[in-house]
Amino acid sequence: MIPVKEILMPKSVDEVCRLIRDNNGLSKIIAGGTDIIPGFHIESPRFENIERLIDINNVDELKSVSIDNNIITIGSAITFSEIISSQILSEKLPLLVKASKTIGSTQIRNRATLGGNFINNAPCADSVAPLLVYDSEVKIKSFTAERIMKLQDFLVKPYGTRLKPDEIVSQIIVPVPAKSFRGDFYKLGRRRAVSISRISLAILLDVDNGLINQIKIASGAVTPIGTRFYDVELFAKGKNFTDESMKEISIKLGERILQVSGVRWSSEYKIPVVQQVCYQLLKKIERGENLI
Amino acid sequence: MEIRFTLNNNKVTSAIEPNLRLIDLLRDKFNLTGTKEGCSIGECGACTVIMNGKAVNSCLVFAGQCEGAEIITIEGIEKDGKLHPLQENFLKSGAVQCGFCTPGMIMSAYALLMENPTPTEEEIKDAIAGNLCRCTGYKQIIDAVEKSAKEVVR
Repeated sequence: MIPVKEILMPKSVDEVCRLIRDNNGLSKIIAGGTDIIPGFHIESPRFENIERLIDINNVDELKSVSIDNNIITIGSAITFSEIISSQILSEKLPLLVKASKTIGSTQIRNRATLGGNFINNAPCADSVAPLLVYDSEVKIKSFTAERIMKLQDFLVKPYGTRLKPDEIVSQIIVPVPAKSFRGDFYKLGRRRAVSISRISLAILLDVDNGLINQIKIASGAVTPIGTRFYDVELFAKGKNFTDESMKEISIKLGERILQVSGVRWSSEYKIPVVQQVCYQLLKKIERGENLI
Repeated sequence: MEIRFTLNNNKVTSAIEPNLRLIDLLRDKFNLTGTKEGCSIGECGACTVIMNGKAVNSCLVFAGQCEGAEIITIEGIEKDGKLHPLQENFLKSGAVQCGFCTPGMIMSAYALLMENPTPTEEEIKDAIAGNLCRCTGYKQIIDAVEKSAKEVVR
């Protein structure tokens, strides 16, 4: 077990920012701890040189969900169980809620947090694909400054983000999609519960008069980090929403994923599965069995 | 560091190393060895306890995060020497074989019944999805939880 000098439990974001500023990068924020604690236990090099843990579970403003003018603000330390039981999120961001239900077990969802999921930025972080199709932004605070950044710009590489040692992601800001959007999320793991994603896809689709007005597609696990596919979205825009175009979009998506991820030992079977998942999601949306 | 919390309805204080996990605190400092350590990474659920009304893996919580918390372990659910209906029904339904998963399994079921006294079979399955049993199979366990739900409600 990696030693720690202390664990502090501040009550406000300002206090958190002061604590992470004062310790010259030797402090680490901990919320659910479901990634950090096993890492400490096996003495993972990812957690070397940490002297102090700042537990943010008692900071109320990091746990709240609010909606104002069709903009939803979610505190970064909200747990997945809290996301699942939130009325606002179930109604307005059903893809995020569906993805949250697939994460870990009840015990994990009771501790693991939304912010922790994408700040850790594992390729398989299940909240990322839905947050990307919702065009989410993150609010980042330090003791002296505050900035807002698109989530996709915030996520840099596997286990890497733009967060600096003296900063905290305080909120996730999500615009409610227009009512004309429909969508769905699918996760493929090796088993039905407590599974790590092998493939996940989130799709939001706006069809107007039989034409694809706009589509938003994001992947998880099958790309190095959660990724939006703007070129595939552009390719699909304006096409008739037919079986044929659904196949074209799915094939295109598979090709793009192969380009992004490179050929791997698993590509031969994963790419056809991704394409099939994409096609099935589009079919489901066509049949009206989707979430929104 | 020193922490204060409620353990099985008793207010307790403990001087701990900050990187001690809740499971180690329970087993090594309080001798509550009913809580088991299986995988140490939150997959098997053998270490499940209740923290502030929610089932959690005690291998994934630092003791230092428990300041002010209410913790219930398998040792805390009997009343005046009488087993909790879940414990009774696990025995009666043949839901215990080697017994290693049982405390965690019962605590997950206990947390479920706290929130939802009349769960469906699907809800029970969902509640214990994070608890692995490698001996009996899950049928008897689900039966025991269903039976207990009826008794607890009554």
